[in-house]
Amino acid sequence: MKSTLGKRALSSFVSLFVLIVLVFFLSRLTGDPAALYLPVDASEEMRQNFRELHGLNDPVLVQFGRYLADLAQFDFGESLRKARPALDVVLEAFVWTLKLALITMTLVTAAAIVVGSIAAFQVGRPFDRFASVLSLIGASAPDFWIAIVGIVIFSVNLAWLPTSGTGTIWHWVLPISVLFIRPFGLILQIVRGSMINALGSPYVKTARAKGVKNGPVIFVHTLRNAMLPVITVIGDQAAALLNGAVVVETIFGFPGVGKLMIDSILQRDFNVILAAIMVTAVAIFIMNILIDIAYALLDPRIRA
Amino acid sequence: MKHATLLAGALLATSAFNPAFAQDADVTVVLAEEPDLVEPCMATRSNIGRIVLGNISETLTELDVRGDEGLKPRLAESWEMVNDTTWRFNLRQGVSFSDGSAFDAEDVKHSFERAQSDQITCEISRYYEGISITPKVVDAHTIDFTTDPAQPILPLLLSLLTIVPSETPIEFTREPVGTGPYVLADWAPGQSITLERRDDYWGDAPAVSKATYVFRNDPSVRAAMVATGEADIAPSISAIDATTEMDQSYPNSETTYLRIDHAVAPLDDKRVREALNIGIDREAFVGTILAEGTDIATAINVPTTLGWNADTAVRGYDPERAKALLEEAKADGVPVDTEILLVGRTGNFPGATETFEAIQSMLSEVGFNIRLQMVEVAEHEQYYSKPYVQDQPILVGAQHDNSRGDPVFSMYFKYHSDGRQSGIADDKADDLVERATAATGEEREALWSELFGYLHDEVIADVLLFHMVGHARVGNGVDYTPTIATNSQLQLSEIGIK
Repeated sequence: MKSTLGKRALSSFVSLFVLIVLVFFLSRLTGDPAALYLPVDASEEMRQNFRELHGLNDPVLVQFGRYLADLAQFDFGESLRKARPALDVVLEAFVWTLKLALITMTLVTAAAIVVGSIAAFQVGRPFDRFASVLSLIGASAPDFWIAIVGIVIFSVNLAWLPTSGTGTIWHWVLPISVLFIRPFGLILQIVRGSMINALGSPYVKTARAKGVKNGPVIFVHTLRNAMLPVITVIGDQAAALLNGAVVVETIFGFPGVGKLMIDSILQRDFNVILAAIMVTAVAIFIMNILIDIAYALLDPRIRA
Repeated sequence: MKHATLLAGALLATSAFNPAFAQDADVTVVLAEEPDLVEPCMATRSNIGRIVLGNISETLTELDVRGDEGLKPRLAESWEMVNDTTWRFNLRQGVSFSDGSAFDAEDVKHSFERAQSDQITCEISRYYEGISITPKVVDAHTIDFTTDPAQPILPLLLSLLTIVPSETPIEFTREPVGTGPYVLADWAPGQSITLERRDDYWGDAPAVSKATYVFRNDPSVRAAMVATGEADIAPSISAIDATTEMDQSYPNSETTYLRIDHAVAPLDDKRVREALNIGIDREAFVGTILAEGTDIATAINVPTTLGWNADTAVRGYDPERAKALLEEAKADGVPVDTEILLVGRTGNFPGATETFEAIQSMLSEVGFNIRLQMVEVAEHEQYYSKPYVQDQPILVGAQHDNSRGDPVFSMYFKYHSDGRQSGIADDKADDLVERATAATGEEREALWSELFGYLHDEVIADVLLFHMVGHARVGNGVDYTPTIATNSQLQLSEIGIK
C-alpha cells in the first residue's frame, strides 16, 4: 500500500511539473498582456512600462526560472488584474467549488446507488426501464440549457427559488440540481450494470439459497463487490466538478474556481491561471489517493 | 430588494409626508462582470466606472448627459482661462472626503500626478497623452493647470479625473476614498460590493441609502433577476430579452464600423471603398440581427457629438452600382479580385458573428472576395492597432465608444496619420484634426464638422455601419432612465424610489 502511494505521489509530481511547464509556455503564446490590459490608444512607452513593471520584458526562460523559484516558496505571484496574491484569489474560489462538489457528489452517490440497485433487482420491469431512460436523459442533456430552463421555470414563473447567487440555502438548490443530473445518470448506469453482474455471481446465489432476504443481499453481500467500478466513475465525476463546473458557475454567478479560470484566461491573468491549475491538480491528486484507499479497503487483493 | 419593506416605507412616506422614510431605500444593481479593482483612476473602465464614478469618487467637472447644460461644475465651482495655456479652477469649499479629511487643491494636484505616474497603469492617463500638463496650487481652493500645447477643452478632459486625498499612495487601492455621496461598505469577492450613503456629503442627500452590486455573466439571468425582484436595475441585457415594459433602450454611444486600411490594394482605390459602402444593406440589420432603434452611422461619433455633420448622408444600398464601380476599377488595373480579410471580434456586441457573416455575404454578392475571420479580443487587438498586419488587404470590424461629447477623444487616434488605429494618412485630415483640437467655440465646431464631412464624402475613410443601442431593465420599485453614459457610469443619486 505504502509503495503504491509513493509511486502515485511521484507520478503525480511529474505530471504536475509537466503541467506547469505546458501552461506557463502556452499561456505566454496567447498574446501580450500589455495589449490586453492597456487601452488601445496607449503609447508604446506605457506598454513598455507595463511590461517592465510585471517582469514581462525578460526572456521567457528567465521568467520561467523566476516563477519556479517563487513557487518553491509557495509564492504564486500576484494577480495582474486584482492586485492581490494569486493564491488567495484561487483559494477563496476553490472553497466554494469544493463545497459545491462535495454536496453534489454526496447526493449523487447516495441517489445513484439506491436507484441503481433497485433497478438491478428489477431488471426489465417498469422501474428499471424508467431509471434507464432517466439516466440516459440525464447523461446527455446540456448543462446550460437545463440551467436556463430551470431559472425560467423555478425562479421566474413559479418564484420558488432565487435565480442565482449564494446568499441562502435556497440559492444552492438550482446549481446543485443542474450539476446533479449528469453524474447521476452516468453513475446510475454503472451501479445498475455492476449490480446485475454481482447478483448473478455464485456467492449471491448461495446466499439466496440459504434464505437471506433481499435487503441484506443488496447492501451486505452484493454492493461491496459491485462498488469497485462505481468508485472509479465517482472519482472521475468528482474530479470534473472540482476542475470547475464552468458553465453552471458562470450562469448562476457562483464564485467558484471554474468561473475564475475562464475569467482569468480571458483576461490573461497568468498567475491566477497557473495557481488555479495547480490547486485543482493537487486536489485531484489527493482525491485519487483517497480513491486508492477506498479501493484497498473494499478489495483486500489491492492492499498487498 | 425587500419590496415589502420598500412598499411600507413608501406608503408611510406618502401618508406622513416624511421625506426621511422616502429616502431610506436599498437597491440592487446586477452587472455583467465583477470589477477587479475599485481604483478611482481606472474609473473610465465600464465595470469600475459604474460603481465608482459619481458615487464614491467625484471629478472637478461633469458632462450633463440628461439635459443640454454641457459641462457642469462638480468639485470645481467655476473655471476660466487665465491665458492661452493656463486654466484656473476654483474649487468648492466645505467638502470632505469619506475619511474625514478636507478637500483642497493639493488633493487635485496629487490625483492628477498619481494618475500620470508610470508606477501604475491608470486608464484615465491616456486622455492626457501627448499633452504636457502641469498642475500648480495657487491657494487651498484654487488650482492652475498649464498645458503645452494649449488645451481648449481641458475642463472636459478633467471631467474624467477622479479626485483622491493627497495621502493616497501611488499603488492601486482596494479601499477607495472619495468625496462622493457613497462609501465602499463591503466587498465580498466573487459575490457582491456594497456602497452606503454618507451623512457628511457636501451635496444633497440622494434617495438611495444603500446599493448592492452583484455580478452575473449571463444576460438572461440578469434580466430574470429584475423580473423576480432580486435586483432593481440591470444596465445591460440583451435585445432578445428586452421585451417587457420594464425594459428601456438607450443609445449607448458605441459606433460599429469596418476600418479600411488605405495602404493596401485594392483598398487604396476610392471606387473600391465606395463599393464596400454601398454593397451593404444596413437597413436590413435593424430590427433583425440588431435591436430596433439602432441608427445608421455616417461618422465614428454619435449625432450628439460636437460638430457632428448633418449634411453627411447615408450611402444607400446599391448593389448594381457597387458592381459597376468594381468593374470600372478592375478595368483600370485595380486588383479587385484579391482576397480581403474581414476580421470580426466574437462577443463584441450581441449578434456580432451574425452581423459580420451577413456583411461577408452581402459584399460577396457584389463581387468582393471576402474571407471572414472571427477572433477573440487579444488577437483582434493585433489587427486593430499599429503596427498593422499588412500581408493582405484587411477590414477590421470594431466598435468605438465616445460619450464625451467632443470628437477629440476619437479623431486623433482614428484618423490622424500618427493615430494608433488610423487607416488613413491624409494631410488635410491631419491638419483638420490638429486645428480642431486646438480651437474653441464655434471655430472648433466648424472644424470638426468639416472633418466629418471630408472623411465621409471625400476620403471615404471607413465603412461606417451603426450607432448601437443598449437595453436596460429597470424594476418597478425604482425610477431610473438610462442615458448615453450608462455604459460607463451609473450614478446612484439619479435613481428615484417609487
